Amino acid sequence: MVTNSQEREREALPSTSAVTGLPQKRYYRQRAHSNPIADHSFDYPARPQDVDWRALYPNIGSEQQVEFADIGCGYGGFLVTLGEMFPQKLSIGMEIRVKVSDYVVDRIAALRLKSNETSGYQNIACIRTNAMKYLPNYFKKGQLEKMFFLYPDPHFKRAKHKWRIINQALLSEYAYVLRSGGLVYTMTDVEDLHKWIVSHMTQHPLYERLSETEANEDPITPKLYQSSEEGAKVVRNKGDHFLAIFRRL
Amino acid sequence: MTTIFYLEPELVLAHGRKVLFLNPNDLQIFKEIELPTDLTTCGLKPVAASEATEEQPATKSEVSILNVSYSPDRQLIALTTTGQKALLLYKSRPEHAKLLSIRPLARASSALRFAPDSSSLLVTDKTGDCYQFDCSADVEAPPKLLLGHLSIVYDILWTPDQQHIISCDRDDKIRVTNYPASYDIHSYCLGHKEFVSGLALLGEQQLQHLVSVSGDKTLRIWNYATGEELLLKELPAPAVRLQLRELVPGQRYEAAVLFYDHSAAIGLYELQLNAADAANPSWSVTREQLIEAAAGSWHIGNFALCGQRIYVLGSLNDNLSLRAYSSQDGAEDATLPEGWLQMVDEQFAGEGQCVPEDLSVWFKKRYDNVSDYMERKKRRIEDTNKAK
Repeated sequence: MVTNSQEREREALPSTSAVTGLPQKRYYRQRAHSNPIADHSFDYPARPQDVDWRALYPNIGSEQQVEFADIGCGYGGFLVTLGEMFPQKLSIGMEIRVKVSDYVVDRIAALRLKSNETSGYQNIACIRTNAMKYLPNYFKKGQLEKMFFLYPDPHFKRAKHKWRIINQALLSEYAYVLRSGGLVYTMTDVEDLHKWIVSHMTQHPLYERLSETEANEDPITPKLYQSSEEGAKVVRNKGDHFLAIFRRL
Repeated sequence: MTTIFYLEPELVLAHGRKVLFLNPNDLQIFKEIELPTDLTTCGLKPVAASEATEEQPATKSEVSILNVSYSPDRQLIALTTTGQKALLLYKSRPEHAKLLSIRPLARASSALRFAPDSSSLLVTDKTGDCYQFDCSADVEAPPKLLLGHLSIVYDILWTPDQQHIISCDRDDKIRVTNYPASYDIHSYCLGHKEFVSGLALLGEQQLQHLVSVSGDKTLRIWNYATGEELLLKELPAPAVRLQLRELVPGQRYEAAVLFYDHSAAIGLYELQLNAADAANPSWSVTREQLIEAAAGSWHIGNFALCGQRIYVLGSLNDNLSLRAYSSQDGAEDATLPEGWLQMVDEQFAGEGQCVPEDLSVWFKKRYDNVSDYMERKKRRIEDTNKAK
């Protein structure tokens, strides 16, 4: 409902910084780790046709659908960049943590308000959900064109490997929502996790890795390093970036 | 979990370490399987230490049978155990239950199903992994991981042409996966709002119809190839088990549903196909019957349909208890052979307690971790405004 989101946009203002007009992160801090297998209090749709997309994208066209998904979007830095780079596409951020997803929702609301004349940022939205369990609830078969897994939680302990967002079983689910020819972008600063991701995705019959040349030719690639908050932190701490892009066959 | 099912002419019952194959019409025991207290004595090699996420299963753990299944060609019997977790495969003909192989399981099984051609079987577990075990070329072969859900898989089946595997889980999902390319998901049947506890195919194969029951108190029929829901039948209570039997081939079926925590134990629903419009076949429920089975006065765990009789298996004061009711009207069945129930009681007397399984954990715990945060946020905003 239009009135609801406009109201939300105005409400977001008081906790925003007087300087930037955007929400301040210190009110939304939450620990980085979350247990994706435990039950959470999510309201999730039973099926894609039950989703009220207009509530997320007020100007959505009747035939339009979400095509880019940032899985584990954190504080939304990359999602905002994605929205700016691809104004004709609908991008969605999915984040499991309560405060963090709320921050992104407030951030998008504030951005929309600030750019009221140009109607900017109407093409990005964030939902609080468990992407490991509920992707098929939101997206039809082959709906997505791009999926992003940037700086996912490595879940270091062996017992927790099943919690990693990239594992053999989940790769089949991601392949279901991704169209043939669609791309999966993965980025991490943890080399072990990078090797794990490359190994699992290479073994999976439905994916092939892009060559370094192909990866560098993609205009999104440079943005992966800087736009997300995690990425910027890695650059500040002079850490390594490990990139792997895969095509869904 | 106590096992009971009927496969003509045998009524199969399993509890503790014993499986009995009984004649429901007289006191004859066709055959029986009794497991030793320590499965290493029949060749079980525990899972390698590096694989096990828990410690080595203590040999003191009581071995207890979880699932039992016949292969479609009746040549093989498979059973899974907990305590020492294993899959045992027996030859059922012509010998009486000769052990062919015993293979370790990483986790206790949640469902067990043979392939239509009896050449392999599927075992699922509480983490959602589905393993395939060879039952023909190499009965000792370790399993192959075919696919994985993210929560416990309650039921799994193959389509008769073995082109698809259909599985359901605690996260409300019914998934249709290609076979043998099991990394490729064909479709989902989405709509249930709680765990899906049972699946069965109905109608001619080319219709591609499926029936499911759920903790959301519904029975639904689907076209599993497209994921389209064809029928939604409201049930009086959450459903925890489904058994389907064919009354008129391809046309009429009887779905028996075990309820959770309800005044009636079982609901029987006759499903009739309306093929008048060949392009849009539909189903309707033509008859309903509730079987109370004294629900509430004892704990009911399982049931089996056998002709006009329903056997209901459960426990009273932690002791195994078996009763029989008429599927026509739910009245206690008086046609059981004299002394039959006592015989069953005696046979299982030594098999230890029958502690009811707590199924409340199947339901998702919904807790609110948002409202508190939103409340505090609202107050913070109001305080900031007041301060201005």
